[in-house]
Amino acid sequence: MKKYAYNEITFLQFVFIINNMTVSIGFLALPRVLAEQAGTDGWITLILGWLLTVAASLIVVQVMKRCPDGTLLDLLTRLWGKWAGKAGAVLLALYFFYYGYVGLVYTILILKTWLLPMTPAYLIMLLLLIPTYMITRNGVRILGRYAELILFISLWIPFVYMLPLKEVNWLYLLPVLKEGWKPILTGVPTLFYYNIGFATTFILYPLLKDKRKASAALTLSSTLTMLSYLFVTLACFVYFSPDEITEFNEPGIFVLKAIEFKYIERIEVTFIAFYLLIFSMSWIPLMYLTSYCTSWMARKQDHRSHLRVVMLLLGIGTFFFMPTDDQSDLMAEILGHIGFGLEYIFPVCFLLFLWVYDYVKRRVSL
Amino acid sequence: MRTRLLKLTFIVLFVFTAGCSDRMDIEDVTIPLLTGYDLDQHDRLLTYTKIPVFSKDAKKKSHEIGVVSRTLRESRQREDEYAPGLFQGRKILVVLLSKRLLQHENWFTLMDVYFRDAKNSITSRIAMYDGPLSEVIYLNPADQPFLPILLRGMIETKSRRSETVKTSMQELHRQMLEKGITPYIAEIMLENQEVKLKGSALLDHQGRYVLSLGYQETVLLQILQNQADKPASLTLSIPGEPKHGLLHLNKLSFNTGKTKTKIKTAYRQGKFRFDLNVDMSIWLTERLFPYDMRKKRKELENTIAGQMQKEFETLIGKIKRKRIDPFGFGLNARAYEYNAFKKAEDRWGEVFGESDIHVQVQVKIGSKGAMR
Repeated sequence: MKKYAYNEITFLQFVFIINNMTVSIGFLALPRVLAEQAGTDGWITLILGWLLTVAASLIVVQVMKRCPDGTLLDLLTRLWGKWAGKAGAVLLALYFFYYGYVGLVYTILILKTWLLPMTPAYLIMLLLLIPTYMITRNGVRILGRYAELILFISLWIPFVYMLPLKEVNWLYLLPVLKEGWKPILTGVPTLFYYNIGFATTFILYPLLKDKRKASAALTLSSTLTMLSYLFVTLACFVYFSPDEITEFNEPGIFVLKAIEFKYIERIEVTFIAFYLLIFSMSWIPLMYLTSYCTSWMARKQDHRSHLRVVMLLLGIGTFFFMPTDDQSDLMAEILGHIGFGLEYIFPVCFLLFLWVYDYVKRRVSL
Repeated sequence: MRTRLLKLTFIVLFVFTAGCSDRMDIEDVTIPLLTGYDLDQHDRLLTYTKIPVFSKDAKKKSHEIGVVSRTLRESRQREDEYAPGLFQGRKILVVLLSKRLLQHENWFTLMDVYFRDAKNSITSRIAMYDGPLSEVIYLNPADQPFLPILLRGMIETKSRRSETVKTSMQELHRQMLEKGITPYIAEIMLENQEVKLKGSALLDHQGRYVLSLGYQETVLLQILQNQADKPASLTLSIPGEPKHGLLHLNKLSFNTGKTKTKIKTAYRQGKFRFDLNVDMSIWLTERLFPYDMRKKRKELENTIAGQMQKEFETLIGKIKRKRIDPFGFGLNARAYEYNAFKKAEDRWGEVFGESDIHVQVQVKIGSKGAMR
């Protein structure tokens, strides 16, 4: 019997959850990060990073194939027993919580810089948590629908970035490979932070309706991620001079700042207010996954009570401590390292282990 | 029990999460439409602002404030002392800079507040005034519109015809930081107590004022930059046509249609070489001498091309002598001769001044107008 039948998500919902989650926090700042690393050749770095991400996510699917009706936690339990599962649940819960927290902090800081400089951070946090709770308490299916909705109502964003198109200078992109391959390759590791998120497959995999399409879904989602990154990166690279782009924290916002219409100025304000919806995808799924992991550990079907605790913790925590922008950057960097370990390295090691395990088992049974 | 808890939660949220800290009533706001920066005799920073006054009792509809301060943000506090509301930088239409300020290098660093404080607008237009700013700021002529509106309108409409440059704060940031180009801004002047647009002012890499261009030269500059995509009007003398006494009857005017400048970049023997190919399609708007267009159209095209080429060469020579590159040929140099440019990028103006530039002009008369 299928354990998760009541909560299945479709192919597209799965794609959008992962894609939105990944793109949301990287979209605005990524062009600057790439320019710092590899100059205007940064877009090549992006493509290399995409290849690695596709490879890593395919490996995740291979791992999950071993246990089509359960999450990674079920798989761990089956392999090593109850305590391994619980340890895994704690680690994953911490990871997802941290990931979501980084997203929340970043969002609040952006909001404070651009929209609400006077409003205290804990208030913004509270205001953000209310809709978060309302969506998250309903489980994965609602989450999937939310992700779908967000993607479809964000489709106008590319068109906004095309508005300054007549002021751009394509010469900035030339020559390609101006400093050779070295800066491009050294830039790849920084990209891991901007591509993580596919580890959610560890939990979402059993909920996917058609599991044969899991590989296709992950490939599609990282390709979508890559294309949106490539788009905003090129838009910024041809708009800003390579000598100035590293001066802006979020070049993605500054591009919009210079757009003028006759009756509306400071387009970026409306944009950020709207972009908040996309930002929300950087913590809403993760808050769900966190409470899912902890309730799994407590052998509870209903994740809501745990979710309430997490929300409360965030609300009260922010009242006492709110990271500064430097701390937020540092947290993001640490998340990049942890994410690299958990989403790129761990699946490879785990898959190798599974192969060896199978091999040994077969030999023994012979 | 459940509903009561829910109600309680709602009440608590309503009371404690009202996000009104950033509320700003329009009555409490003072909106400067123009700011100007100048230096006084002791080289202290002077800041001027012009504010519209929305009051029935005020006879004069604008208010001017001038204060001395060390930085721009500090000047905002000093100005607040004179105004009924709080200053909001988001509606500044024009930023005026005096030539005296522009003679100091690195003045652009002062503008940091425009970018760092996200509430400021970075679309305000930049213009230079040659002389003490107080002359223009306190002028308030009876027959000209409110100065910020006047200047903004001047810059908007004239830049559409390429007669001045539309440099916004953001654009200036790019030009200041980009190593392959030197900045250019609009220039205004006072003539018989009337504000007048002069053309453009060219700055060097450090932002120091170097050269002024008249309106026709500004058109030529923008043709070479490949930015004159909207029709611009030019008037030329045609050699060989006689002058009749006092009247200049050897003149011919035309509007440029599609102009396309192709730039070929090369680097040989330690020198950059730019081959410019200007392709213009024009339509005549004025011809003050008789001419047989049907037979000698080609000839006229060649004469105009020759005259244009001369004008371009004079302009390029004038600019090269000043060791600046407002054309942005440095971008082409970087794109096509990266290694050579990389070595020269920190003194690009000088290197550009020593480069060889060759201009070729092709003119095609698309239409001779409504007359034979």
